[in-house]
Amino acid sequence: MRKVYLDHSATTPVDPRVVAAMMPYLTDKFGNASSVHSFGQEARAAVDRARRQVATLIGARANEIVFTSGGTEANNLAIRGVCALGESRGGHIVTSAIEHPSVRGAIELLEKTGWEVTRLPVYDDGIVRLQDVRTALRAGTVFISVMMANNEIGTIQPIAEIGTLVSEERDRGRHLWFHTDAVQAAGRLPIDVASLRCDLLSLSAHKLYAPKGAGALYLRRGTRLAPQQVGGHQERERRAGTESVPNIVAFGAAAELARNEMAERNQHTRSLRDQFENRVTASIENSVFNGDRERRLPHLSNISFRSIEGEGLLIHLDMQGVAVSTGSACSSGTLEPSPVIRALGRDEELARGAIRFSFGKDNTAEEIDYVLEVLRRAVESLRKISPLVRETITVG
Amino acid sequence: MPYSEVFKDHLRNPRNAGELADANALAEETNPVCGDRLRLSLRIRDGRIEAGRFLAYGCPPTLACGSALAEMLEGMTTEDAMKLTRKEIADAIGGLSTRKQHAAALAIETLHAAIINSSQDK
Repeated sequence: MRKVYLDHSATTPVDPRVVAAMMPYLTDKFGNASSVHSFGQEARAAVDRARRQVATLIGARANEIVFTSGGTEANNLAIRGVCALGESRGGHIVTSAIEHPSVRGAIELLEKTGWEVTRLPVYDDGIVRLQDVRTALRAGTVFISVMMANNEIGTIQPIAEIGTLVSEERDRGRHLWFHTDAVQAAGRLPIDVASLRCDLLSLSAHKLYAPKGAGALYLRRGTRLAPQQVGGHQERERRAGTESVPNIVAFGAAAELARNEMAERNQHTRSLRDQFENRVTASIENSVFNGDRERRLPHLSNISFRSIEGEGLLIHLDMQGVAVSTGSACSSGTLEPSPVIRALGRDEELARGAIRFSFGKDNTAEEIDYVLEVLRRAVESLRKISPLVRETITVG
Repeated sequence: MPYSEVFKDHLRNPRNAGELADANALAEETNPVCGDRLRLSLRIRDGRIEAGRFLAYGCPPTLACGSALAEMLEGMTTEDAMKLTRKEIADAIGGLSTRKQHAAALAIETLHAAIINSSQDK
């Protein structure tokens, strides 16, 4: 059966060049980066090189990068690590209503221990307003966490503006830290931590055509946090545990490729995405696009199809070899409609019918033709049996 | 658990989808937790289900259970139909995980409501 992968926001296939870069570290160069001998030095040099490559992707210094096991760990380390130290200073966190479950979960955990949380609305376009951030700040606010781009609808948040606000507040003597989850944005939007003025920024390797198993937290020089994993000196005491050298090397190589090829990849995915959306509009009625269509990532499209439920559509597409996702990939399997789509003010039917199509650098125009054909038939077939679109037939 | 071939076949080719214009038994039930909806229309004559059609909205198991139910009902007496169990519906689509049992429960609930509401003399 033909297969078309349109779920690049969930994970990406590993680039063969990335595999080639990591391969020596899965075979001959197997040393532990903490060992003193030559095997260890070889591994250490590779980790240091990868650290520079990842730092370059976001305009950071190499020593501001802490490698983790992935985006979820980076988010947990940022939020729980900083708040563990900031606790005595306050106890209020400002975040958005559409964060990734790993940010949401870490903040909910703090909430259970007495922290107060303000969740900023995103309105029908899926974008946080700077004014709302300003209004939410109070004497006890210690931490702000707003994602750079949303994982379900791709909307881009005003991170640089929030960063400027945080910086002004800090100039007035306030102790405030700003974290952004850039897992979806990295490699798709140019990132420069100096202009964003964030203190912490999370990254994940497997969204950048590297394998699962590595991520990073950018930690602005001077930002302190309580390690969430202890018992080793790795990552300058900020994250204990033997570094996954092959995965880190792969992450570095993928970050460098992402930086060099960003414009080309974006142009390609944007063109496929726009073509796809224009044809959906023309050929499938009652399709509703979710989130602002200008301020969003170039590779992503989130569409609700009225009268049908997302999981049914997903299975139909999957039976024809087309991979997409409903809600956040991590939320599939729960009965709750997507909280992100609900935050846009959509009704339950639209929230349940939302499908995310996320394009990648290796998708082709011909694949999009196939997906459109399969999608049209699947929507038609599900609408035929939906009680929300009644049709009456007479039988003998 | 992965969906079985028979399950996928019900999704690909739903049996008896639609609504009977001359139904004398009709019910539409909604699962209050997940919002899944099943609508069943039956034509019952002399205590026997002559024709059955379904419409469904919700997760794939709900769609497959609707299709399997509408198919198995045709020709069945209402008395036998009232004895159908969740397990029989689930078995007809190759089994259901514990998490998806609500789909078979909704099918049975809708079936009972349709027969009980039937305008056919019982």
